[in-house]
Amino acid sequence: MSSRKKVLLKVIILGDSGVGKTSLMNQFVNKKFSNQYKATIGADFLTKEVIVDDRIVTMQIWDTAGQERFQSLGVAFYRGADCCVLVFDVTAPNTFKSLESWRDEFLIQASPRDPDHFPFVILGNKVDLDNRAVSAKRAQQWCQSKNDIPYFETSAKEAVNVELAFQTIARNALAQETEAELYNEFPDQIKLNANDNNRNRDGDNCAC
Amino acid sequence: MASTSKDNMQNICSHDNPEKDLEPGASHDSILNPTDSFEEFATEMNSSLEGRATDVTKKSSTISEIQSEIGECSKALKETKSSENLLNKDEAISSSVSNSNLQEQNGDDTESELDDYLKSPELVNKEKHVFILSSAGKPIYTRYGNEDKLAGLCGVIQALVSVVEEQNRDILRSIITKDCKAVFLVKGPLILVGMSKSNESETQLVLQLTYAFNQIVSVLTLTQLNRIFEQRRNYDLRRLLSGAERLIDNLLIFMEKDPAFLLGAVRCLPLPEKVRENITSAIISTCHKIRDLVFAILIAGNQLITLVRMKKYTLHPSDIHLLFNLVRSSESFKTAESWTPICLPKFDATGFLHGHVSYISEDCQACLLLLTVQRDAFYPLSQAKHTIADKLRRSYCLTAINDALNRNKDLTTTNPLKHIGIPEIRHFMYKCKSTAQLFTSDPISLDRLQDYRQRHKEGGDVVKKKVEKLSDMDYVRNYREFCSKIHCARSPAKLIFRSNSEDTILAWITNGFELYVTFDPLMEKDLAIRAVDRLLRWIKNEEKRIFIMNAPTF
Ligand SMILES: Nc1nc2c(ncn2[C@@H]2O[C@H](COP(=O)(O)OP(=O)(O)O)[C@@H](O)[C@H]2O)c(=O)[nH]1
Ligand SMILES: [Mg+2]
Repeated sequence: MSSRKKVLLKVIILGDSGVGKTSLMNQFVNKKFSNQYKATIGADFLTKEVIVDDRIVTMQIWDTAGQERFQSLGVAFYRGADCCVLVFDVTAPNTFKSLESWRDEFLIQASPRDPDHFPFVILGNKVDLDNRAVSAKRAQQWCQSKNDIPYFETSAKEAVNVELAFQTIARNALAQETEAELYNEFPDQIKLNANDNNRNRDGDNCAC
Repeated sequence: MASTSKDNMQNICSHDNPEKDLEPGASHDSILNPTDSFEEFATEMNSSLEGRATDVTKKSSTISEIQSEIGECSKALKETKSSENLLNKDEAISSSVSNSNLQEQNGDDTESELDDYLKSPELVNKEKHVFILSSAGKPIYTRYGNEDKLAGLCGVIQALVSVVEEQNRDILRSIITKDCKAVFLVKGPLILVGMSKSNESETQLVLQLTYAFNQIVSVLTLTQLNRIFEQRRNYDLRRLLSGAERLIDNLLIFMEKDPAFLLGAVRCLPLPEKVRENITSAIISTCHKIRDLVFAILIAGNQLITLVRMKKYTLHPSDIHLLFNLVRSSESFKTAESWTPICLPKFDATGFLHGHVSYISEDCQACLLLLTVQRDAFYPLSQAKHTIADKLRRSYCLTAINDALNRNKDLTTTNPLKHIGIPEIRHFMYKCKSTAQLFTSDPISLDRLQDYRQRHKEGGDVVKKKVEKLSDMDYVRNYREFCSKIHCARSPAKLIFRSNSEDTILAWITNGFELYVTFDPLMEKDLAIRAVDRLLRWIKNEEKRIFIMNAPTF
């Protein structure tokens, strides 16, 4: 076992219904793709271990339902997320237009401490299809305008960029999860053995 | 199967009448808080969604009270209290999703991945599971298996809890199936879940979860726990708790077999009255000038030997249980004097006491805890400890403690059933309510405890096979149902008598005590009651040995 502390990252995937969220997750976790379309109702949870800079990181991926009527699973669902992945379908321009409102929805619900620097990643999915309708340039421009959100073009079907995209997601989330020494005031346990103690009878310089 | 009678007992036994004479073990002064743990947890169960968020933060700090009383308010210990409501109602949004939508209807692959692990030998067929997660759904602790691999399950649990909370404005308390109970407890920023296939009641399970929560608080303080999640809701609490998982593991094992938890009482090491007096006065004479000392506690083998306290302050049994657990779980205390911060949640959840913890000597496995509000009192306390140890040795108290610990055959308390001389009695357990102390006929000895723990490390599995010779633990398991009937909030029973071909069990609660007795099978009721009367007289006779009957202060 590694001596480094374990990390678990909560990753939320959002985007319109049918853009390929569940497929991307399945490709990443199970290396499988299915053409059958089954709508996610409510939520799915998957976990996967990845290695980032020698650290073992467990990604806890929360896949949501995109349908209108299930749009809000509520604050609780978004609470304490480490990263948010926004997905659109490059062949469906309306799914690209929705990104803005998905991002807003997330920021409102999750209300992260530092919304400007919260790690998002945008995935333009289904690049294997011919009938592309949103250009890479257009997507990139939008991402740049939002504090330079990383952008990947993916295909869950042909496993294009999926691994890379999720690696980036893990890395960025981890970077945000800085080991801030917030809790320094936590008093450490001090141990002294009897001999030291005898030598140092009057010392108030105990190592606290 | 159980016949209960509320009026039967009054005329049978005089001990029920508090004016006549005090029930065995009762005294006017108590070192322990006689709070009934069941009442407390009934309150827990009845708490409302709105009430819940506040009651973790409203308690005032006993530690700062003591500090201001002794006139030195150390800045270091002052902790700001959080006022933020953890469940911010304004944020809650309503939605039309119904519970059934949480079912995973998509991706057979995704389902099977989680299911596979849930069916692995590490997890399957366990009698009880306990999971602790943050309110963001991040895993913090699991009794069995690897919490990382249970992240998916934690997501599901969080979703269940929050859907009921946000959409129905209600609290999810339990899910009961034919052979399994799942209870849910949301405490501050944490969600605790217990799933049990045993005969424990919901209340008993909630009690165990509350203990697990208090164990975490004991390591971090409630103030710090709340603050961490106010600042970072995504915090992975395992970072701060690394090392404390062991404490929670041990606590859960401990609770499965020690009736002290079931009854909210503390077990005392039986000692001759004079010996206990000598020990207490050795502590008082050594420590009375150390003015920041709040408690001096001597324990051995999960039993209390004595507790000397600062005037006005008493300890809750559950805080003592956490101290027992800490000492039992920390091998390092055996090799060195330790100076460690300890938060006692019932005493003051907002701050740390500082504890000098050490075993009295190499040849006596009694552990002395000196708890103070001073963070730099190691040396004076270390000196006090050595003085106390010398005094105890010179007055042969260490020998007496060892005799009791080794269950010397010459002591009447070592094998009480033999001395009572009622062959039909197989086992009994008695709690004196006013002093929150407990005595059983077959105290769990340390080595057997070790065996049990080893068995549980490997197993903890549901066992179907019948055991031939019952141990204390097994009797206690049998008492659980009786205990919950007696403490049932809606229609509490005062006396339960159940006789069948396996055994006869009598459970009886009065204003002063609780008593559980196991007899031979098919015992007649009036015979049993006469036996109980004799038993109570024996306990009364021995009370000065088996209970601490005074409440000494520095
Ligand atoms: N050609 C192609 N089809 C995809 C891709 N990703 C998903 N799909 C299909 O798009 C449909 C919706 O996918 P799904 O993952 O359920 O979308 P979700 O509603 O966002 O979870 C399914 O029929 C998938 O087979 C992709 O990368 N390429
Ligand atoms: Mg889906």
